[in-house]
Amino acid sequence: MTQPSWWHRFAVRGVFWRQVLRFAILNVPPWLEPIVMASWSLFFLMWGTARRGVMRNLAVIKPGSLAIVNFFRCYRLFWNYAWTIADNVRFKEARTIPDWEFTGWKFFQEMQERDGGAILLTAHMGSYDLGAHLFAETSSRRIVMVRAPEADPETRAFEQDRAAEGVRIEFNTRSTDLAIDLLDVIREGNIVAIQGDRVTGEIGFLPATVFGKPTRVPAGPFALALAARVPIYPVFVVRLGRRRYRLMTARPIELVRSRDRDDDFRRAVEQWVEELEHVIRDRWSQWFTFEPYWPELAA
Amino acid sequence: MNVIVNRSAARWLPSRHRFALAQLVAFARLRQGEPQDASGPDHLILHVDRDQSAAEAYAVAVWVFVTVAAYLAATLPMPLPLAIILAIPLASIVIHIPIVVGGPILRLILGENDHVKLVSVGTMSLLFVWSFYLSRGDSWARFVAWFFFAVLACNAIAAAILWLLRAAVQAEESRCAR
Repeated sequence: MTQPSWWHRFAVRGVFWRQVLRFAILNVPPWLEPIVMASWSLFFLMWGTARRGVMRNLAVIKPGSLAIVNFFRCYRLFWNYAWTIADNVRFKEARTIPDWEFTGWKFFQEMQERDGGAILLTAHMGSYDLGAHLFAETSSRRIVMVRAPEADPETRAFEQDRAAEGVRIEFNTRSTDLAIDLLDVIREGNIVAIQGDRVTGEIGFLPATVFGKPTRVPAGPFALALAARVPIYPVFVVRLGRRRYRLMTARPIELVRSRDRDDDFRRAVEQWVEELEHVIRDRWSQWFTFEPYWPELAA
Repeated sequence: MNVIVNRSAARWLPSRHRFALAQLVAFARLRQGEPQDASGPDHLILHVDRDQSAAEAYAVAVWVFVTVAAYLAATLPMPLPLAIILAIPLASIVIHIPIVVGGPILRLILGENDHVKLVSVGTMSLLFVWSFYLSRGDSWARFVAWFFFAVLACNAIAAAILWLLRAAVQAEESRCAR
């Protein structure tokens, strides 16, 4: 395996920026945070690939919107992203927790109290990590998060060294073994949290139509729900303001096994996409998808 | 974890604010009571931490940023409109200096947590000295400096009022947290 070049650590996904963020969390007085956050969000707006990706996605979410308006919307998204990752590091380093509001509390309670495990399906929104930690601290059930690993090996090692306790993280790169492990986790009555809005790497997918355009969503959570015979709970963590988040739980998606497996998946994906579109439409500034989401935009 | 569950009025606990002026405003709002909002969240968890208030953090940040930008604009040797444009990014860099320089050194000397307090006090002290210097001059920035001292004076008065009301504040906090 070839060693990455020394300058790789300074690339946008490199470990240097994680170290800078940790430094800031440990040294910035809280009343100066907004100034630091605004400055660095502006700095990262120079990340052209991500900015263009976000602006293309915004053009689909908000049809007819002007490019200049989407540029400022892009800043707002970067600003939210900066706060979100900072809140996550602050929790890991200082155990500082934000205020939490819950909507769909009855579904959230149902997920916690039901016999057997469940699948928590979410998106790249708000603070996925912080939400998982909240769940770990308030629930007697174990939560296993499935996610794509960091692209940069140094960044991956940095994050693994600082992973918070109480949450087990599995990477979606070893799909066959992982599916069996996750099935066991659910059968033991625990929760598996998966991000179901985008396909990363070589993982199985299902076709979907989001905001009227064809795309793909991960097949894993739906196949797992069908195999384990458990419901899928759509859960979104959105940032409401400084140190303030909302955990939104929607009506569960029940996968009923019929003779036509494709039709079972299609109905489940449609319900998931409906929830996803609803949340993204309201909270477009927190959908942290920095690449063109729809294949036709990437072409 | 110091948390309060399902009491929206607890947002206004003085102990969720850092500066005396903000604590006094919060205490007034807490006493006023908050009407129950039917459209509010199903469940609420509020963390009691003195840096939890967003309004306070943003207000202080904007005040500090505008003050530093004004001082820089008044100091730069160029026409005022150009100086203001340049002062905005410069202010952002200048504010980083005490953090980047002071933070690691103080952390080595004092250890975790305490050093942030000292960075905080150090930054405010530097701003105090700069304001004192400019307040005695004849540039337009003296008005900004006077405003800076007016805010500090209000905060000091608020601290004195809070000290006099400390029993009432404690009682109100206990009532809300119960």
